[in-house]
Amino acid sequence: MKSQPSETGRDPVSRTPAAPGAGTGARPRPLRELTGPVRGRLAVAVGLQSVAALAGVVPFIAVSEIADRLTADAPADGDTLWPLVALACAAGLLALACGTAAGALAHLADNDLQLALRRRLARHIGRLPLGRLTERGTGEVKQAVQDDVSALHTLFAHTLLDIVAVLTAPLLALAYLFTVDLRLGLVSVVPLLLGVYLFSRAMAGAAAQMAEFGAAVGRISAAAVEFASGIAVFKSFGRGRKAHERFVDATEGFADFFSRWVRTTLVSSTAAVLVVAPAVVLLLLTVLGTVFVTQGWLTGAELVPFLLLGPAVAAPMGVVGPRIQQIRAGQAAAVRITELLHAPTLPEPATPVLPDGHHVRLRGVSFSYDGRTDVLHDVDLDLAPGTVTALVGPSGSGKSTLASLLPRFHDVTAGTVTLGGADLRDIPATELYRRVGFVLQDVRLLRASVGDNIRLGRPEATDEEVERCARAARIHDRITALPDGYATELGTAVTLSGGEAQRLSIARALLADAPVLVLDEATAYADPHSEALIQDALSALAAGRTLLVIAHRLSTVRSADRIVVLEDGRVTEQGRHDDLLAAGGRYATLWNAQRSADDIREGSAR
Amino acid sequence: MIRQLYGVLGPEGSRPLNRLLVLQCGAAVLQGVAFALLVPVLRALLGPRPDDVWPWLTAFAACALAHALLQGAAIAGGFTVGSRLSRVLHRRMADQALRLPLGWFTTGRTAEFSRLAGQNVIQVMSTPAHLLRPFISSLLTPATLVIATFFFDVRTALVLLVCAPVLFAVQAGSSAVMRRLDLGRDAAIAESADRVLEYARNQPVLRAFGRTAEGHGALDDALVAEARADRRLIARGLPGLVSFSFATRLVFALLLALGVSWQLDGSLTVPTLLSLLVLLVRLIDSVSSAAEAGAGMRIARNTLERLGAVLDEPPFPQPAEPKTPRDGSVEFTGVGFRYTEGGGDPVDAAAARPVLNDVTFRLPERSMTALVGPSGAGKTTVAALLARFRDTTEGTVRIGGVDVREIAADDLTAHVSLVFQDVYLFDGTIEENVRIAAPDADAGALAEAAALSGLDRVIEELPDGWATKVGEGGARLSGGQRQRVSIARALLKDAPILVLDEATAALDQENEALFATAVRALADRKTLLVVAHRLSTVVRADQILVLEDGRITERGTHDDLVAAGGTYASFWERRARAHGWRLAAAPS
Repeated sequence: MKSQPSETGRDPVSRTPAAPGAGTGARPRPLRELTGPVRGRLAVAVGLQSVAALAGVVPFIAVSEIADRLTADAPADGDTLWPLVALACAAGLLALACGTAAGALAHLADNDLQLALRRRLARHIGRLPLGRLTERGTGEVKQAVQDDVSALHTLFAHTLLDIVAVLTAPLLALAYLFTVDLRLGLVSVVPLLLGVYLFSRAMAGAAAQMAEFGAAVGRISAAAVEFASGIAVFKSFGRGRKAHERFVDATEGFADFFSRWVRTTLVSSTAAVLVVAPAVVLLLLTVLGTVFVTQGWLTGAELVPFLLLGPAVAAPMGVVGPRIQQIRAGQAAAVRITELLHAPTLPEPATPVLPDGHHVRLRGVSFSYDGRTDVLHDVDLDLAPGTVTALVGPSGSGKSTLASLLPRFHDVTAGTVTLGGADLRDIPATELYRRVGFVLQDVRLLRASVGDNIRLGRPEATDEEVERCARAARIHDRITALPDGYATELGTAVTLSGGEAQRLSIARALLADAPVLVLDEATAYADPHSEALIQDALSALAAGRTLLVIAHRLSTVRSADRIVVLEDGRVTEQGRHDDLLAAGGRYATLWNAQRSADDIREGSAR
Repeated sequence: MIRQLYGVLGPEGSRPLNRLLVLQCGAAVLQGVAFALLVPVLRALLGPRPDDVWPWLTAFAACALAHALLQGAAIAGGFTVGSRLSRVLHRRMADQALRLPLGWFTTGRTAEFSRLAGQNVIQVMSTPAHLLRPFISSLLTPATLVIATFFFDVRTALVLLVCAPVLFAVQAGSSAVMRRLDLGRDAAIAESADRVLEYARNQPVLRAFGRTAEGHGALDDALVAEARADRRLIARGLPGLVSFSFATRLVFALLLALGVSWQLDGSLTVPTLLSLLVLLVRLIDSVSSAAEAGAGMRIARNTLERLGAVLDEPPFPQPAEPKTPRDGSVEFTGVGFRYTEGGGDPVDAAAARPVLNDVTFRLPERSMTALVGPSGAGKTTVAALLARFRDTTEGTVRIGGVDVREIAADDLTAHVSLVFQDVYLFDGTIEENVRIAAPDADAGALAEAAALSGLDRVIEELPDGWATKVGEGGARLSGGQRQRVSIARALLKDAPILVLDEATAALDQENEALFATAVRALADRKTLLVVAHRLSTVVRADQILVLEDGRITERGTHDDLVAAGGTYASFWERRARAHGWRLAAAPS
């Protein structure tokens, strides 16, 4: 047997290969970290997009030059004009080609990134301690894998290129305008500067407001969920109005918040949009330009480039607002994704050990979900091969937690669990799962065919093997009655009853054929027809295995080899039924209580 | 999209939208006029007498300023209409929820409804401010400019007139392709979201069988399918986007070349050519913003359509001249039920087989009837039809001799009290949850309901007693505790008819046994219909109905049915066997 490993060797962080530098505190560049594999392609896309943006300005410059030539003292002929027309067309095509290429490249890079990230997240989730998943909920997982990765799509496939375009094009435009006329060139910067000033005033405190907006949206969503799922109940009590009021009140609160927010920023944000509006920019340039021309400071032809390019200089301000939101949203998403990716996984053993035999031994096992209160305390337990051990005790005494340690859904907080002499933490996951099976109380079927659901633990099993196990689990007849038999897809067209689902999960465990089996004996939801069949199926499953049963009905486990009474996470009694009954302790009390309940239940039938 | 907006706003919300549209159209047309006036301004400045410019400049400045004013009003109006849109939509969705039959709220629809009434309404809010304005100005400003061009150069105007439908067609075609692709992509995203949730929720079983990410092929398939759908969108959507962009550049190049050649052959003056080119740049710029708004418009239109579909669901028909039930008896006569194409769940509609077929029975006043049968036999549907969650497709359900369709909704609710297996508790205290049944009930009635349902023992165990917060959806209580709250509130309502649909499935043996006794006692006061799996409850019924495949196959008392040796008798025999079952030590 392996010696007690050192504390540091169990440090989940240091043993997590997927989390280099995890736990070192803030990671300032989550976006950088995530884009790693596609950064090259994104850089090329950015390059192409700048070329496209610059080329996009060239046709306007060409037209300005045409204006210059046409108004020159010597009238222009075709030889001087046509090359400029050709330049305008060529530059337009180049802009289109480069812009398209940049967009396509960024989209494809992002497409690869999305798939890679989603797969990476899925792999990581498969190695997280289960406790982490149940405590934070599956909503977090869906948010990260779906919504957050999609938020990154907006950022990389759209926002990034937009930003490049609005930053480069105006620079070239402005540079050209300065060469035409410095004074009017300076004037054409004014709307942009005013726009920046007004916009930053409108955005002052926006972060806090955005956070409140997000919270308000969250409240509305929660209210909508509550309203939709509760309306049936409220209506059946003739109180539909009340649910209606609760929901409408919540939405009124939101609408009031939104109106208030809009009122406080409306003037500056409207002004910010207006000062950079093309008509307003042209108004400024045309009025001043007219003064310049009539005063003889500028020729009419020199005014043309300003009317062509002036609006383009100011335009970026118009699109920058939504882009800032997108960047913020993308950053927040990246932070959530990296957080999940850095969450410590269940450590894989450094030096794997294979179990020798199937004797399960718990020594001094304590376990705590939150690190403060122990759910299990100093539990010693032996499960000898080929024996049945029953866990009994009031609900909340730790039965399910104790059972969940065997398939290593959680790691013990103190003590050891060994299988065949090897610490569970030193057994490679695939080896462990091959040896320890689990039939859960809460049966989960996948949206897949009946056959594939049974094959879960042994995908390569033949149809004959699947059918044999289904027969043993007393579910074969029900399956053949389904529209497509074993090929019937579950969860879409067909839903099995609770009892049927339980028998299917037993067939699954039979096929997986693990020598050690954890069984949650729960038939509360089954109809009487199913109940009898389930118990036949369980008998088939129990034969020849090391069995740990979480018992709810004492009569079922009366003849177990050993009955273990758990109370408040401690083993208070253990032994055979008759001995425990004779001892007159907690077990005897439980037994008598259930007997009288049975008498009440069956009273009028007899 | 404007049609859909009017649709979801309804008559009460349409007036502010009218005003907003007038403002936005006015701003767009004025912008076009202002751009057009640049032509005479520039022509004057480029011509021999620059001082002729002043009247034109004044007109241009006036139009540009008027545009700015209207635009400012339109931006403000966009936000106002947006927040009005959220108010009106939230309220209309809430009203609609009250009118819809309870049977409409299937699991899938409930989720969809909460998404629509929650996030989607908020997404739609920004439509008037951020989508409608660019959309309208991308249509009306170019249109104004094309008309104005006729005043400056008819040939140029004609070329534009010919190009406009081409541009329009390219844009419409590209949008249609994208819309179709969006649908395929939405389906792929929904599938992969579903698989992600399945994967996360099923971690225990997946791990217990050695299936993590690598082993759960369905998840990876869904992720790959989503990536493929995205790629398809890029590959097939790109040509449309490129062709619109190409077409606009082509129009520009064409007019530039034509203009230069007309100038060279002397048919177009230099000032007119240059000022028309300035106008053309404005026109192309306005048209291009149509393409940029495209994606947002498609999504908004899609969302508005889904909101409209829910709002247009026909409300449950209510009787014009309601009648009042004479007593607490219930009668099903030749009742058939099948899910109809439009109104049923998509899943069940596909099966399209009758759920109930020629069901006839009578529940006498103050009696207890048990409804038994295998899962899927239609037991819950019987309960739903009794309470008129749905209407029958054939036959009649009568309460106190009156067809349920002729009883006013409030009156019907007052007569029938239901407890379902799925318990819904709202976020509040236990007392609040029980009292929704009868807010004015006195302490005695509350205590009695608690005692009958076994809730009194729950209250005793909990430190905060009646004031215990149940959490969202009742999450802080155990299944058995939740069920007892829901039983207590159904009892507090004190309706003459009580329907218990597997109401005790989550109770442990002791509580279930105690409640079974209490139920029997209730039959002295109420008409009881009990859907149950546990025969300990069933044996005490005055009448047992066995439902199989939507038909009643046996009826009678426990003793009659056991003696008859049919389905019920074999149920009973199996139940007895199950109870005698023992988990034996395995032979070594």
